[in-house]
Amino acid sequence: MATTAKADHQTGLNDEASKLPSAQLTKGDYEELLRQLYLARYFDVRLIKEKKRGRLRGTLYSSHNQEAILVGSLFGLQSEDWISPIHRDMPAFFLKDIRKDWNNDDRMGMTIQEVCAQVWGKATSPGRARDNWSHIGCQSKHIIHSTSMLAGTIPAAAGVVLADRLNGKNTIAMTFNGEGSTAQGVFHEAVNFAAVHKLPVVTIIENNQWAYGTPTNLEYPLEDFARRADGYGILGLIADGQDVVDVYDKVMQAVNHARSGKGPSIVECKTFRAYGHGDHDDDRAARYRPADEVEKGRERDPIAVMKKRMVEMGYMTADDAKNYAAEGKGASEVTDIDFPQQVVDYLSKGVEFAIKSPLPEAEEAAQWVFKEVE
Amino acid sequence: MSAPTIQSTKVNYLTALKDAIAEEFARDKDIVAMGEDIGLLGGAFGVTDGLQEKFGKDRVYDMPISEAAIVGVACGLCLNGKKAIVEMQFIDFISCGFDQIVNMTATYHYRTAGEVNIPMVIRGPAGAYGGGALYHSQMNEAWFAHSPGLKIVCPSNPYDAKGLMKAAIRDPNPVIFYEIKDLYRRRDIEMELPEEDYIVPLGKAKVVKEGEDITIVTYGQNVYHVLAAAENLEKEGYRAEVIDLRTIVPLDEETIIESLKKTNRLLVVNEAPKTCGVAGEVLARMTENAFQYLDAPPARITRMDTPVPWVKPLELYVLPSVEKITEAGLRICKF
Repeated sequence: MATTAKADHQTGLNDEASKLPSAQLTKGDYEELLRQLYLARYFDVRLIKEKKRGRLRGTLYSSHNQEAILVGSLFGLQSEDWISPIHRDMPAFFLKDIRKDWNNDDRMGMTIQEVCAQVWGKATSPGRARDNWSHIGCQSKHIIHSTSMLAGTIPAAAGVVLADRLNGKNTIAMTFNGEGSTAQGVFHEAVNFAAVHKLPVVTIIENNQWAYGTPTNLEYPLEDFARRADGYGILGLIADGQDVVDVYDKVMQAVNHARSGKGPSIVECKTFRAYGHGDHDDDRAARYRPADEVEKGRERDPIAVMKKRMVEMGYMTADDAKNYAAEGKGASEVTDIDFPQQVVDYLSKGVEFAIKSPLPEAEEAAQWVFKEVE
Repeated sequence: MSAPTIQSTKVNYLTALKDAIAEEFARDKDIVAMGEDIGLLGGAFGVTDGLQEKFGKDRVYDMPISEAAIVGVACGLCLNGKKAIVEMQFIDFISCGFDQIVNMTATYHYRTAGEVNIPMVIRGPAGAYGGGALYHSQMNEAWFAHSPGLKIVCPSNPYDAKGLMKAAIRDPNPVIFYEIKDLYRRRDIEMELPEEDYIVPLGKAKVVKEGEDITIVTYGQNVYHVLAAAENLEKEGYRAEVIDLRTIVPLDEETIIESLKKTNRLLVVNEAPKTCGVAGEVLARMTENAFQYLDAPPARITRMDTPVPWVKPLELYVLPSVEKITEAGLRICKF
């Protein structure tokens, strides 16, 4: 049943590889995708290390093992497109529009300084650290700010692209959600509305098999969540969430579908949550999740999968693939030498900026409840 | 300003609202309306009658029965340069969009340190006394008064309805606008309205009847119950000053305090339940800020802490009435 459904969903999209969006990617693009995988992974492990060193407070929601979804989804977006990441998608804030130039602070994505300042709760964060660390965004950079209510930004994503459509602009809104979010009523309401109006909303489902402590079989009774798309009359695709190129291919098909006026889509990226829900949950997660399931879920590290692809394509030698061996290592096992220097330098710049930045003044807490009437 | 909708004769409360919305639509092309049955049908009560015909389907959206998506999509529109007028078919249904209102929309300015503001009006028919039963009778303004970032408006007459609606639409913040459905077509409150554009500023209460012996603060439909009770009090020799709050958030404490300096007695009336309601809030603030002017214990008349039941004797039993207000007023005046 599931196999049939999968084939149905990809009808017409299973053409030979030469027709896939990734066929257009150059060797340089592959190298950049791999660098971004390292960057997303390093962000995760660096913050865990900073917290262990006592330099950082707050809960960390690891995107470890899920980086290919963020990197592959965002890679093909245009600058003016909108995104709405949630708590496990922190790298998305700086990965948006990073492709052209990591160090262009004016790009339509957040700088690493802004993201780190938010993580450290400093006044230099875009929201002046008023909401917690994963709830940032930037109106002018087209990043919708999430709340803690899951699926809560999908309606807003539909709204921003509706506004753009009314103004004659052809942008996409890409929302990131765990599979846990999909049981929310607002998920249905928003996807349904987007479907009715054929709005260019690409709904990425990061299906990491666990909604905090609840497995998917207690959330929905389907092998492939993407089948739900049929019920909305929209495109549903399934991607291998460990493979950044497959994510890119599926998401770009959804993006092209949206940009050509055919409407919204659901792209289910199958992956596995490497650690607990948050770092406070790591120990408990080891008890509620069977060890063999965790081991299996982590065995295809997205960095390793990408290296294998690049070796096969002749973009990297087998010897080169042994460099920067971050793959398969937890935060406590990995060190800076497992990452390209550019990645370490980039993030260090953000961390140092955040640590040096001041806290907001306490009195600010009473400000900005209402916008003053002019 | 387009002339055709301006009335030279008396207009009812509903027409005042309808004209306000249509005039604002004509004034500002970024305004969009969303709601259930508001386009083709013109709204369950007709407040948006003709709006889609005049301004098109790109500006007036018939939405699925999805209050959370209605508010959330409107929030997204506002996040991207539009201004949204959202209809709740009955204000009772606002509970289905609650999270999108209090967590997504109301907090947006705050959590972005002022980068974002959401110019949205959420409006809908409200209030009891019409046999609407539990889910077509509510006054749930206290839920939202307790959620920072929302302004709350409730007009009692056509002039205020039009002026407050225009002010709400022009306000840069989210506003919840309680339209009293029993007043929509009430003939005896029709008014001639100015031909020129006007607003009634948010946050300003109005003294609707002057008096020296007791201040009665209320809003919405209860304004008329209070005015009738004031006539009863007058027969007993007490002249009541009646204040129509018009805006619940922000609350115009100053107008109440000025009145108390004169009357030294306070009664507050609201249609919603008693516990943690607006009447209780007014009493608390006056106790904190105007205790020195009070010569008698202040009191409130509210709905009982029950839902609104359906059949007439049950419904009236739990709601504020002219008799209950008169009785409380006399008790305070005679203290």
